[in-house]
Amino acid sequence: MNKYQFSCDGAKLETSVERVGQGWHVSVGEAVYEVDALPHGLFAVTNGQCRHMAAAVKHKGIIYVDLGRVQLELTESSDAVSGGEAGELHREKDKVFAPMPGRIVKLMVSVGDQVTEKQQLVIVEAMKMENPVCALAAGKVKAIHFAQGDQVDTESPIVELEIGL
Amino acid sequence: MSPLFKKILVANRSEIAVRVIRACRSLGIPTVAVYSEADAHSKHRLIADQSALIGPPSPRESYLNIDRIIAAAKETGCDALHPGYGFLAENPLLPKRCAEEGIVFIGPGTEAMRLLGNKVESRVKMADAGVPLIPGMKGSSADVTQFEKAAAIAGYPVIIKAAAGGGGKGMRIVHEKSQLADALGAAQREALNAFGDDTVYLEKYLSDPRHIEFQVLADHHGHCVHLFERECSIQRRHQKIIEETPSTALTEELRARMGNDAVKVAQAAGYTNAGTVEFLLDKTGKYFFLEMNTRIQVEHPITEMVVGVDLVVEQIKVAAGLPLGDHLKNLSQRGHAIECRIYAEDGENNFMPSIGTIVHYSEPEGPGIRVDSGIMSGMEIGIHYDPIMAKLIVHAPDRNTAIAKMTDALEQFKILGVKTSRRFMIEALNHPEFIAGRTYTSFIGDHMSARATGSDDYHALAAAVASAVAGSSTRTAGGSDKRLTVATPWDTVGAWQIGDAIGE
Repeated sequence: MNKYQFSCDGAKLETSVERVGQGWHVSVGEAVYEVDALPHGLFAVTNGQCRHMAAAVKHKGIIYVDLGRVQLELTESSDAVSGGEAGELHREKDKVFAPMPGRIVKLMVSVGDQVTEKQQLVIVEAMKMENPVCALAAGKVKAIHFAQGDQVDTESPIVELEIGL
Repeated sequence: MSPLFKKILVANRSEIAVRVIRACRSLGIPTVAVYSEADAHSKHRLIADQSALIGPPSPRESYLNIDRIIAAAKETGCDALHPGYGFLAENPLLPKRCAEEGIVFIGPGTEAMRLLGNKVESRVKMADAGVPLIPGMKGSSADVTQFEKAAAIAGYPVIIKAAAGGGGKGMRIVHEKSQLADALGAAQREALNAFGDDTVYLEKYLSDPRHIEFQVLADHHGHCVHLFERECSIQRRHQKIIEETPSTALTEELRARMGNDAVKVAQAAGYTNAGTVEFLLDKTGKYFFLEMNTRIQVEHPITEMVVGVDLVVEQIKVAAGLPLGDHLKNLSQRGHAIECRIYAEDGENNFMPSIGTIVHYSEPEGPGIRVDSGIMSGMEIGIHYDPIMAKLIVHAPDRNTAIAKMTDALEQFKILGVKTSRRFMIEALNHPEFIAGRTYTSFIGDHMSARATGSDDYHALAAAVASAVAGSSTRTAGGSDKRLTVATPWDTVGAWQIGDAIGE
């Protein structure tokens, strides 16, 4: 019997796993799932009467799972603790990052501006789309680290806020 | 019979380049793919007979660069060029340049493309031809006050469109005067990026119309036929995501009238090759000419499925000077086809573009299921290009069966590493209003914005699968964190030659 802990979209999930023949019996809370590995990264998951086909791959510490309708990314909690690449990025609401690398096509605030939660601060263009970047909380603009036309990555904050003013 | 062309250069990337290469192959014509530095490991490069590097990742320095594309065509000995859609496909400078260089452009002539690409001029032409039009601006302008005047006359809401536009790029709806200046700037920037031209114009925005377009084919001998309609009402941010044919809104009588007008549009423009005449259809059954797209459309496969014609093959034949064949007379629509566009975007998080490595890719299968794909396992989805990865097309005897088949195919389609909006599309297709055939362009905003996007119901199931993955990697690697490596066809391709790189 192996025990695992995963995090997924901020939720913690604990499982206990038993090897049965070529497959596994996995308990998640009250539910028990029978999982069989098929060729090419495919899995059959059975829960009572209900059978699902899933695809799953572990890549750079993240377990990607496709359940047909949804795709989820899980990290093993032990991986996250050891500081693997999959460690969830802990980000404070006072720093605003681009969701993906791109080019700033519009800065919509200036230092000193009051902003509300979900207010659009910056527009980053990537993949030929203009993507608004919004404040995660209300506050005052403390610093702006980039100018219109600059390339940004996802690691450097574009805007810093003083929260709650 | 000797092949129609010696060699065709495909001036595009991803799924449409793959699609065109396959059509060429079915005609026994060798192909040359062009690729940017970002696409060295792309599928379209892999499957072409030869390939040529045309520059850095930025589209302006590669897929939008006419000089480099023409140089590649000449250096590889191509006598024809297919532009695909997007990029240079509707830029009249490309057919013009091709003509100067003695390369056959697989598409319309320069003058027809220029006329129809200029939405303002083409409106005047079509009004003269007796085709119904949407009220709007008579000429384009860069001056915001001109837009404000035109908007006041047409009445809000209005829509700003790229004069060179298509595919929803450079397009903004404006509900009141105060939003106009911002929307104008955004539309101009997007238009400049997508088409290399920031000219935009304004039209009255019709509320809740259906988007109905007609496929046409015209040869160089004065023949022009239509291949019926496609309904593309299911759009998000003016980007079509689900298309179907036949439309539930057309009676035989209306279909015949719109089809005749579509042919009239093509003939008035002196059009040759494959093109698409777009109309908006209002609730009272009145329709208006929107524009004519002078290229192969993203959604062309649904027409191919119900009519049984390979449109890209027809494009090549027309470009080679052949008259339209007898198989294009007395066409009929057989069954129902639906297409879903598979974008790299997060359907559960405001459709943010999603980038990353494709760590798993498996296509759905079954009768009547077709996948036009530009991706493979191991490929990177980067930030440089449009996020379309693949198109899923189903064909069934009737609409309800097509919806069920598409739902199943979307569930079977496994793509891991980047997000997609397959769940969103399954929910849209199975919405009671969609099933009832009540589709219109604001369907998604009206019916889909309140949907639950949480994944909580799936967490336990995902954790069960993840446990098996964690369990199997521990077992095989003796407890170490064994990372699965993703094989790309480039690792296993074996003896195989790529044409000489061109340019940089």
